[in-house]
Order: sequence, then C-alpha cells, then structure tokens
Amino acid sequence: MIHSCALKNGLNVLIEEMSHVESASYDLLIPGGYVCDPVGKVGAGLILSDLISRGAGSFSSRELSEAFDDVGIRHGEGIGTDRYGFSGSMVGDALGRALELVSMMVRDPHLPPEEIPNIQSVLLQDIDSLSDNPARRAMVELTKRYYPDPYNRPSLGERDGVVTSDRTTVLDIYKRCFGPQKAILSIAGKVKRDEVLALVEKYFGGWSGGSAQVPQFGQSPAHNYYHIPYESSQVQIALASPSVRFNEDGYYAGKIAVSLLGASMFGRLFVELREKRGLCYSVYARHGSTTSYGTVTAYVGTTPERAQESLDVLVNEMQGLSGSVTQDELDRAKTNLKAALVMGEESPGSRASSNVTDWWFLGRVRPLSEISAEIDRVTIDSVYEFLARYPFRPASLLTLGKNELAVPTGLIGGGR
Amino acid sequence: MASKVHKEILPNGLTILAENNDANASASIGFFVRTGARDETDVESGVSHFLEHMMFKGTPTRSALDINLELGNLGAQANAFTSEENTVYYSTVIPEKFSAMQELLTDMLRPALDPEEFNMEKKVILEEIALYRDRPHFYLFETSFKDYFGSHPAGNSVLGSHESVSAISRDQMKDYFDRRYAPSNMTLVATGNFPLEQFMADARAMCGKWTDHKVGREVGRHPEKSVYKEYRRKNLTHSHAVLVTGGASAQDSERYPLSLLATILGDSSGSKLYWELIDKGLADSASVDSDERDGTGCFMVYVSTSPDRLDEVVSIAKKVVGAPLDFTDADLERAKAKIVSRIVLDGELPMGRLMSLGMEWTYRKTITPLAEVVRKVRAVTREDIQKSLEKFSHREWSEYRLLPE
Repeated sequence: MIHSCALKNGLNVLIEEMSHVESASYDLLIPGGYVCDPVGKVGAGLILSDLISRGAGSFSSRELSEAFDDVGIRHGEGIGTDRYGFSGSMVGDALGRALELVSMMVRDPHLPPEEIPNIQSVLLQDIDSLSDNPARRAMVELTKRYYPDPYNRPSLGERDGVVTSDRTTVLDIYKRCFGPQKAILSIAGKVKRDEVLALVEKYFGGWSGGSAQVPQFGQSPAHNYYHIPYESSQVQIALASPSVRFNEDGYYAGKIAVSLLGASMFGRLFVELREKRGLCYSVYARHGSTTSYGTVTAYVGTTPERAQESLDVLVNEMQGLSGSVTQDELDRAKTNLKAALVMGEESPGSRASSNVTDWWFLGRVRPLSEISAEIDRVTIDSVYEFLARYPFRPASLLTLGKNELAVPTGLIGGGR
Repeated sequence: MASKVHKEILPNGLTILAENNDANASASIGFFVRTGARDETDVESGVSHFLEHMMFKGTPTRSALDINLELGNLGAQANAFTSEENTVYYSTVIPEKFSAMQELLTDMLRPALDPEEFNMEKKVILEEIALYRDRPHFYLFETSFKDYFGSHPAGNSVLGSHESVSAISRDQMKDYFDRRYAPSNMTLVATGNFPLEQFMADARAMCGKWTDHKVGREVGRHPEKSVYKEYRRKNLTHSHAVLVTGGASAQDSERYPLSLLATILGDSSGSKLYWELIDKGLADSASVDSDERDGTGCFMVYVSTSPDRLDEVVSIAKKVVGAPLDFTDADLERAKAKIVSRIVLDGELPMGRLMSLGMEWTYRKTITPLAEVVRKVRAVTREDIQKSLEKFSHREWSEYRLLPE
C-alpha cells in the first residue's frame, strides 16, 4: 500500500511500508537537471550536484560524509536529464538521520567556492576518459546529434561549460531549482507511515521556495548518418529513432515491440546477430521515454570487417518485425516484462525509485497489477499498430571506428 | 524471514545448499563450479570462459535456440560469469517458474558442445576480446596481474588472447569439461521463495546421476615480488596505475581486518584516498581492494588521472598506503558500519544471498549466518589490522603504469 500526501509547502511525499525487509530507502527528486543549465554552461548542474554534499547546515564536507557513514547509509547525490536526485539505503532505524542529512544538503548547502576547481578538475578528466570507452562515447555522440537542444546535452557536461561555471552560476541554479513545490520525496521499506510523516514534516516542513520549469521538448534535428573516425579494435554502431512516449496510447505495445528485438538471449537481434552469425558480443535495442518523448536506441559493437554485415542485419531485423510476430514470441516477451517487473520491485531502493518516477510522470503511483494488466492487453495487432506509427525509421545513425559504412536504404529520411 | 540453510552432500560429491524465504517475491538458483583461468594449461588459455558461453549453446536434448527461448518463457534473469578461479551459472525467476528453471539450468550444465555452435561462439568470444582491447584499464589489470603473480596461475587471463582462443579445439574443451566439471567440484545453491522439499528431491534425481572423479587445484601462495613496469598505448587519453602487494587469501581469517583496512584507505567515498585524491580533484578514480583468492591473495590500489598528474597521484597514494595504521578509532567504526550495511542490504535479495552462500562454500566449505558475519566484522580491532599487515602486506609493492605513447 502506498500512502501519498503533500506538505503545505508543496513537497509530495510517498511512503510504502514493506513488511519483509529490514532496510529502508529514500529517493528525492527535484526538478532541474542538465536541461536547466544555462546556455554555454552545460556542466554547471553537475558541479552543483557534487558541491551540494561538500558541507551543509552545521557540518563541514568531511563531517557530513562521516555522518552518513557513521550509521552505514549508502547514499548518492546526482543529476539527470530533467532532475536532481538524492537517494540512499540503510538499515531501518537510520532513516531519521538520513532525512536530516538530506534536508541539510537541499535546504542549507554551503556551496564552498574553493571546492569548485577540484570538482571541475575531476569532471574534465571524466570528459577526457570518455575516449577510452568507445561504446559509451558512441552513445554520447549520438545523443548530441539526435535530440533537440537542450535534451541533447552530454551527461558528462561540456568542457567549456564546466570550465566557465563559477559559484554564481551554481548558486543561480540552486536558487532556481531547489524548492519543495514540485519536488517528490519517496520512502520505502521497513517504515511506519506516521513515524515517517513526522520525520518528513520535521526536516522538510520549513523548506520553502518554488521549483524550476523544465524546458519543453522541441523539434528534433533532421536525421542523418554521422561517422567519427577512430582507431580501435571494434567499430561502434548506434542508431536512434522516435518511439512512443511514456503513458501514450500503445506504450506497452511499443515496449514489447522493442523487447521482441532487443531482449538479451531471446530477442531477435541477439539471436540473429550473435547466436546465428557470431557477429558481435554486445548487441541490444532499448526503449527509453518520458511523457514528452520516446526513443528506440539500438547498438552493436563489432570488428571492422564485419561491421557492414552487422549494420545490415540489425536494420533488416528491425524493419522486418512488422508482419512477422508470432503468438509464442509475443507471449514470451510479455511474460518476461511482467517477471522483470515483479523481480525489479523487490528491494526498498527500487520501490522508492519507481514510485518517484510514476509520480513525476503521472502524478500518481500505479499498482503493479495495473501495469501487469496493461501488458496483458498487448496483442500482435497492437504491436503492428505501434510499428505503423513508429516504424524505427527514419533513424539517425552513428558509427565510431575506422571506416564509414553504407547506410541501408530507407533508414534515414527527412525530418520528423 | 529466512529459514536456516539446508545442506546435503550427494553420494557423488555435489553439495546442495538451500535457504528458503517465503517473504521474497523471487527465487534464485545457481551452480558454482570451482574452476577458472587458473586451472587452465597454457594452450587452453581462455577455455573456462569459452566453455561458460557454450553452456548456453545446447544440451543432448535442447538446441541453443531452445535454451534461449525457454529462458525467455520463464521470464528468467539468467547469466553466468567466469573469473580466475570460479565459473558461476545463475538465474532469478518468479516462484512459480522455479522448478522449471532448476530443470533447465541443470540440463545446461551437461552441454552438447556441438561443433557448429562451437565455431560460431568462438567468433563471439573473439569479439568480446576485441571489445576489452578497446578498454585500456582492463588491459592494465590483466597485464599487471599476469606479471605480479608470475608463474603462479592466479594471474592467468580469463578471456585468453585472440591467438589462444582461436587455437582451442572442441576436443580440448571437452577434455577440460570432463576434468573440471565433476560434481564434487560444484555447489548447487537455491535462495528466496521456492519449494524446499521439491528442490532437494529434484536435485537428487537430476544431479545424482552425474559421475564423480577427483578434481585438484594447487593452492599455494604466490611468491612476493617488487617490480616497476610501464606500458604505453596509442590512442590513450588517460593514464592508470596499479600498486599491488601480498594480501589475505579467501581462507585466511585476516581477510576481515584487511577488508576493513581497504575500506578505510580506499572506499569510493569518505576514505583516505577519496579525501586526498578525488575530493582535491587530482584523480578521477582511486580505490583500494583486498583481493582474496583461493590460497593466496593480494592488496591493491588503483588510480586513474590525466597523464601529466600520474607521478603526483601515485606518490600520494603510496604515502597513504605507506602509513596504513594512520587512522582513528572512529575511522575504523565507520568502515565497519559501511561493510555491515552492505552485508545486510545485499542479504535481503535472493541473488545477494545466493552469491554469498555459494562463494563461501566454494572457498571455505562453511556456512556462516549473516549475524555471525556481522559479529566478526564488528569484533575487528586496530591490533588485528596491525597483525594482518605484518603477516601479509606492505613488505614489497609492485607498480604498473599505463600511459599514452
């Protein structure tokens, strides 16, 4: 059973009592993220998400870190596309301490200017070391070219943005984003609703301020083929095309369609590229979405002499899905999605996090039975209807490696 | 709550461990095979990992595709991994699918090693080797461990090389399988929400017919050494260094004090190295690990930074590990709280329990309740750490660096 309520200052509170665990987790979402970084300062939010734990309330940076560790709270502070996130897990009785420390960070951070150069230095190293992970680099480069600004911003920040951000930049973002109005605090695990509510009221009741308006998702750039020359053992092949949005009609038909292709072991890409042809070790297709956009991403990494065949088979499988889905295959994908749902929700950490996501997108938390029923309703016809609306093309294609590849016919069309 | 751990050793030597917990929403099952890269001869280099892939490629009664589709039908989260000394096959399913999963996984452990599938999968392995060649820090780890352990097989490469894997024949793999996959060298474990009696009965019926023979492994300690080596690679933007010295084995009681010390010195946050290197912006990675292996072990530091800073970063890391006892009682208590919290949180999920039960039995032939592990961690004193250091570590260090050409 999930209890939800809002404090007077607007903070949304979600509490799920779980009987069979000894631990508890929290997940706090604050609207913002890279998309709210000022133009030319991409990376400022990343600096903020690190700086925020370097001293808050009556604690220095080191004291704050030690206060978490003293009671064994495993915690993280981070930034995503459209949000800041604070999460942590612990043995149940440390929850009060955890909420106290988190409230210090979000309400009263010191944001010490002398720490900023240290954070910048690590962020620049992260940007540099991206070349040493070609698969990850390919996805970052594709994101840059596929999405409209500001949704195309790299999660590692941009070099110029990192270097030119200073305390004023960071403080401006903090003031703009860090209010309770649209924030969501989710708690799950071995907890009692009334006790948690009292703690939340104590530590967050006096928090004030508005929330950032996350920018609208705009018009995407025209699709294209991009090749980045790079000396490496393998060629990275990545493509992206539009798909169904979270909660749009046909959302689960889309998830199932992508899983028919991309699931590890039984998905068509794994079977056709890896199992039957031995073309690669890593191949996948994934569905990602928010309430404003959906994307199918597909990837294969392979050695140069097999790159063209890999791309051709990949695209062929994606394009050949419509009209060829069998009932067995559909049932398998549905079973799998439902099992993953049950198994993925077993720990307090995953419950706290998926409750936050539901609330952020839908303003409510769906029971598992509702999602399960949605999955049950998917038929072969509804998968085909999805494919008619989102046929995995036109797509944007990116390769990173020695040579350019020939683009399969019809893959890249005009705009969207 | 979890029941006690049930243990049964079949007449053929297979150990079965089961810990049932009806409160879980899923169940996990796994086979732990005490075999890995260190059990390979030179010409077999990479065969343990290659064989792990072949377990998914067909049995006398199932094709590779059958296995893939059945795993899909069961909604299983199934996988396997190979290390220097273990090969583990595991899966998590919802409770209703547990018995079917048990039957499938058990059948997979008697692979057909079909020649066509063998040749096809070899290509996949060669792609995996190529993938890791593009990730420089993997290269450094592999190369430095090979050098550090020297003639001791604990440093053998798990993936093998392009050449060694290319040269492996199906018959060599069959020999290796026959030699290493005897039931007395394996442990079957189940955790979470599953029918206990039926699991035990099915295990006896399905695995009881496997025939046993004696499987060995040399478990002496590696000789200590102190070397400095520098490797250069083209197309590298970052630099990496590994420092390594002797450490506790998986059987030594000193593993508790030394893991606590590793947490104090090099945990990902709040550790000595964190404050000296990451907090100050000098390095983007810095960690210390107690790497406990079968009969031997090492204690190691890893750092990565930009090439112009590597000297400075390595020298700070050496200073930190060079004064290992320079910590307060509060530092030690915090490290304990971190480790205890990790043990409790991991122990709540069937897969977390499966891994800890399976690994503990494989290495030590013991079963320790979580509460007892927690007690042992809490009992460690500064003197224990000091004694452990005197026994194993910090006499001689080897240093390996990877830099752009």
